[in-house]
Amino acid sequence: MKWLRRNVWRILITAAAAVLALGYFAETHPELASILPRISPILSLLGALAARKWLGWLMLLGIPLLVLSAFKGRFFCWNLCPMGFLAETAGKLNPWGKGLVRRVPYLNKALALIIAVTAACGYPLLIWLDPLCIFNGFFAAWREPFTWAAAATGIGFVTVLVLSVAVPNVWCHRLCPLGGLQEAIWNIARRCKKTDDPQPSALTSAAATRRTVLAAVPAAVAGIVAKNALGPNGRKAIRPPGADLVRINALCARCGNCMRACPYQLIQPDFGESGIDGLFTPVVRLRSSNPEQEQYCFQDCVACTQACPTGALRPLTVEQKHATPIGIAVVDKKKCIAWEKKEYCVVCDEYCPYKAIKLEKRNGVNCPVVDESKCRGCGACESNCPADPIAITVKPLKQ
Amino acid sequence: MNSKVHPESGKSTGIKRRSFIKAGAAAACAAIAQAEAAEDKPEATVVVVHGKDIAKMVEAGMEKMGGWDKFIKPGAKVALKPNLAWNSTPEQGGNTHPDILRAVILAAQKSKAKQILIPENTCQPEKMTFRASGALEAIKGTDAKLFRPKPNDYKSVEVPKGKICTEAKVERDLMEADCLINMPVAKHHSGATLTISMKNWMGAVDNGTRRAWHRNGLHQCIADLSTFLKPHLVVIDATRIMLDHGPQGPGKLAHPNEIIFATDPVAADTYAASLFKKTPDDVPYIKIASEMGIGCCDIKKIKVERVEVEA
Repeated sequence: MKWLRRNVWRILITAAAAVLALGYFAETHPELASILPRISPILSLLGALAARKWLGWLMLLGIPLLVLSAFKGRFFCWNLCPMGFLAETAGKLNPWGKGLVRRVPYLNKALALIIAVTAACGYPLLIWLDPLCIFNGFFAAWREPFTWAAAATGIGFVTVLVLSVAVPNVWCHRLCPLGGLQEAIWNIARRCKKTDDPQPSALTSAAATRRTVLAAVPAAVAGIVAKNALGPNGRKAIRPPGADLVRINALCARCGNCMRACPYQLIQPDFGESGIDGLFTPVVRLRSSNPEQEQYCFQDCVACTQACPTGALRPLTVEQKHATPIGIAVVDKKKCIAWEKKEYCVVCDEYCPYKAIKLEKRNGVNCPVVDESKCRGCGACESNCPADPIAITVKPLKQ
Repeated sequence: MNSKVHPESGKSTGIKRRSFIKAGAAAACAAIAQAEAAEDKPEATVVVVHGKDIAKMVEAGMEKMGGWDKFIKPGAKVALKPNLAWNSTPEQGGNTHPDILRAVILAAQKSKAKQILIPENTCQPEKMTFRASGALEAIKGTDAKLFRPKPNDYKSVEVPKGKICTEAKVERDLMEADCLINMPVAKHHSGATLTISMKNWMGAVDNGTRRAWHRNGLHQCIADLSTFLKPHLVVIDATRIMLDHGPQGPGKLAHPNEIIFATDPVAADTYAASLFKKTPDDVPYIKIASEMGIGCCDIKKIKVERVEVEA
């Protein structure tokens, strides 16, 4: 009871955050679903820095937290963070683990440094450790229809809670990169204020700077190497529209927002198609869940691109989407009803929203040929092809 | 004609010139007489209303058809099947014009229909297509119910007269209706040449049936279902017709400014095809349907009653 009274605000804030993350309004206002993760500057500001793109005014939602940490340190962590509240509460379930956290080294500032430096290099590593993204990912997994694949984005949340029960407070005090970032900013701000009182802090300041530089250099190297070595993996699968094909595996925070926003459940987490570094990043799976209803990446829908907090998917207007290919359709003439059976068909042309099917008259029957300059890979043809097996399929964009 | 005159005698070389001319002339006379007889006795009637004001056109056309009361009795369950397949605007001609839809709904209400149902298996997400096509606006303030059928709304039926399509999953309300009105838009179709009223039933069956038709001979299957699903009334929107890039469009438009009314779907399709300068020979399913006895596809035997509506 006492606990309840003391934590009533944190409970309310956590509940509000959960509602935002559940995103039941995502279908009409996908950008609202991006608000919660965007509060974290790791996702919104470092994401935009890494993507080298202006991601709309909503990306500035990351600024208040930076300012707050300069004046109040980790005020956000102890009072507002929904993930922090749940992790702390989970730790209370284990009264025997009180001292355990002291044996764990401080990794939070190092993690924040790695993310910041690699983001500056254009290939952010470990961005998915952000607590708001982890929180959001869990709630975004609960959607209709529920699938175990969709639940993949909830793994981080469960992991943090299990860790917190095993070693109470380990997440907030030792691991959380958002906490580390705030602490670093708080330290810098404090040092700036105390310049006229140089006695004790000058020494630690010099040591801290040296340590930071020593850590930042290998991080930068890692970022640049990773970008060149892993970047091509982004193109191995069909990605949602507006995807940054070079950086998607790095930029994607695995928050689940795009998957949640897709009205046709076409966006699903990757299970290794694009390499181990692409685990749980969004891929477009056409002809998904419900064969009764034709589903394809609808030409006038940009929901996923609006829902992304990090710039892994750039926000698109409908006009921009019409010009953005996500894949390319390929006709297998041996399976095609028109080419092979010489029957009236061309359902692919009927459904193609981009007029990308050129018709060739053969034996008095129209036969489909894909116009690669017009095809956007939306999959309208694939999801409606009556041939068995399917004669027209969308392939990932070429390297 | 020659084969009629010279039956399988195999003696064509022995035919005398005089007898040939005689016989030929006789046959020609017979043919003309037959044609005249047909014009006296048409096999089907099509009412074609020309004008700009759609509400008035529907009213005038139905008056010529014998009035709404002939088709909709008080308390009847009315099912409408417009073509609302695509996410396009009324001006683009991809869907049945919403004003026609509204005029028919209001007339059905006036005739005291108990239920007005509009099931439509759209080709694109129904939320968008119903809005873009103007259909949502058209049903506003009426009792009509517009929906995309769920898998359970389809019923497996046998098509006894079907040649290829002997079984189909058809939307239940369309089969159960006391008055079934097929109200397509006439337009170009890349696969089937033209889509008018009989082709419009592809939006009345489930996706599995639709796909099977494409695999197994589309034109015969379209005709097959028309032996089973018989509309009480056909109202074709030819206010503007899409000449290419159909069925989705946008394509080149022509503006006949006509609405076509008929009870014979084959005759209605045949007349509508003539607006595209096509004959049943160009649109196989019309020809097949006629051969199966569904209706008349001989434009000479179709009586066209024209009505002009002043703007």
